[in-house]
Amino acid sequence: MAERAPLIRTGVLLPLFLLIVTSVYLAAAFDIRTQFAQPGEMSPRSMPILVALLMYVALAVVLFSELRNPTADGPVRELIRPVFVIVATAGYIALFRPLGYTLATLAFSSALFLIFRFQTGKPLHFAAAAIGVTAAFYGLFAGIFGVRLPSLTESFL
Amino acid sequence: MDIFVDVLGGMSALLDPKVIAFMVAGFLIGTFFGAMPGLTSVLAIALLLPITYTIDVVPALVMCASIFMAGMYSGSITATTINIPGAPSSMMTAVEGNKLMNKGFGANALGHAALGSIIGGTIGAVLLMAFMPVAAEISLLIRTPGKFSLVLFALVVIVIVDKSNIAKGFVATLLGIMIATVGIDVLQPIPRFNFGTETLVEGIDIMPIVIGAFAISEVLMQSESWKDNLGSTLEKAKKVVIRRRDFIPPLSEIREIGLVAYIRSAFIGYGIGILPGAGGSMAAFVSYAMARSSSKKPEEYGHGSREGIASAEAANNSMCGGAFVPMLMFGIPGDPTTAIVLGVLVINGLQPGPRLLENQADLLGPMLGSLFFSALILIPLTLWLFGPYFVKIVSIPKGLLYTGIAVVALVGSYVATYSIFQMSLAVVFGVLAYFMRKQNYSTVSMLLGFILGPDLEQYLRRSLSLNDGNPMIFLTSPDSLFFLVLTAIFIWAILIRKPKHRPA
Repeated sequence: MAERAPLIRTGVLLPLFLLIVTSVYLAAAFDIRTQFAQPGEMSPRSMPILVALLMYVALAVVLFSELRNPTADGPVRELIRPVFVIVATAGYIALFRPLGYTLATLAFSSALFLIFRFQTGKPLHFAAAAIGVTAAFYGLFAGIFGVRLPSLTESFL
Repeated sequence: MDIFVDVLGGMSALLDPKVIAFMVAGFLIGTFFGAMPGLTSVLAIALLLPITYTIDVVPALVMCASIFMAGMYSGSITATTINIPGAPSSMMTAVEGNKLMNKGFGANALGHAALGSIIGGTIGAVLLMAFMPVAAEISLLIRTPGKFSLVLFALVVIVIVDKSNIAKGFVATLLGIMIATVGIDVLQPIPRFNFGTETLVEGIDIMPIVIGAFAISEVLMQSESWKDNLGSTLEKAKKVVIRRRDFIPPLSEIREIGLVAYIRSAFIGYGIGILPGAGGSMAAFVSYAMARSSSKKPEEYGHGSREGIASAEAANNSMCGGAFVPMLMFGIPGDPTTAIVLGVLVINGLQPGPRLLENQADLLGPMLGSLFFSALILIPLTLWLFGPYFVKIVSIPKGLLYTGIAVVALVGSYVATYSIFQMSLAVVFGVLAYFMRKQNYSTVSMLLGFILGPDLEQYLRRSLSLNDGNPMIFLTSPDSLFFLVLTAIFIWAILIRKPKHRPA
């Protein structure tokens, strides 16, 4: 007998997530105020409602075909590094203004080097590469394109 | 004719050393991204998008065009040398080029790929410049109901072109349209889906979507499989020895392929480029298949056919010219690269349409010229100067490469509007796109839905309000009917028609 695919898998969870998003979207669409619409004329809420309804149909087809022909997920460990990248990125965004470009980028590139296991056995190369990435893109954005990047001292002012 | 002269006049901006520097820089960036397996010219232009906020529009457009052309051509480098297509459009080149590589004719295969790219890219650029005035005249004839049907046609073709994932393509397109409805309504000053926040009243910018869908999601995908065969790839790359003198294909081989084959492939590529959602891969494949069916030496195909390489490369580079036609005339991008170029235009306050060419020839001329010069001069020049070192690109450590991409993507999304919110949105869309890509939802469809959604809504509502809500206007208006019939023909041809089986 064929092994049954687990119900909790990306192939099912993603359309379910989109189903929830669509429901929130549809509820918000009904809240849109219509000021000038004449009877029979399309108002600002008409298109979103139509799109949401079409989305329900499309998601139903996707879910139905997913249940009939399950797409297997890769091993869970495959997701570990992407999750680390997301956490590191969230941290980078949170610290970008408080710490300034230099320190935040230095920490972020070091975190990504660790995740990608780049030069982890050679601390000097590791540090030089992190400083190099930070300096190179500072040069690109601030030097060449004249963009003002946040600095540590700025956050104290 | 006046427009053509204006465009040619606009090309004089290419004599500015600053613009030339951006064109060359763009070409080198495009070559690097195109040659590096896993990276594409779409990603290169996506990363460039935030920078276009800080530079003039002419260098930005010139750079985009040269990246586009370089990305198409350079995919053939790793496709030939190590059998890993740098870009999906080089798949057919990998089939033939790597066979030649294994027989000891790697440089010759690269030379044929470059020659095909030069001829195809140049013809595509010339066709674009020659037919733009005609396309502009035609586009003036299309009225609002026709524009709605045209946008609908584009969206339908984008969804059905991937036959195996129509429902998922539909979901991705609708998701893009949903995201585009956030902000002020297209016709009335009414905020939609701002959920009580002021930040969302202005809507969602194209930039975080592009950065998220193409850059952040790529970093996440690569973090999953950071090891993938790097060792064997490096070993292959180390063994490859390429000499400059072998790049020039012998005249006898060029004669054997024939000028007609090059021109036919270029026209196929240009025609496919005009179709929404088709792109370089389809251009290369169709041209390759046609060349094979009419070849004097079909037995060589699959075993290292130079004609196969030439036809595929001429078509995918010519596609670049074709893809600009619907984008510039109707605001309908033919592929993801032109979708992002459209973003550059919109960021700079330029609205696509027939008037754009008439009024802004000084801005568009350099971009069209950049396509032409990239194909005619930069492809052979880059091959000659850097050809022997191209294959070493793959030896750049992924950890360093993707860290760099992540930093450029995030800092770029910040500097565009100096907004942490935009940065966060880019990550949110990146995570969403990552899971979508893992489940074969097309992020390109999402982007095109986002771009075309507001037009679809605007034209639909305008058409109906001008006709007292009567939807029959879409069937009684000749231009609209034409595009609806065209949509039906495409649905029939792609989804319903069964391919004829040739007797064995």
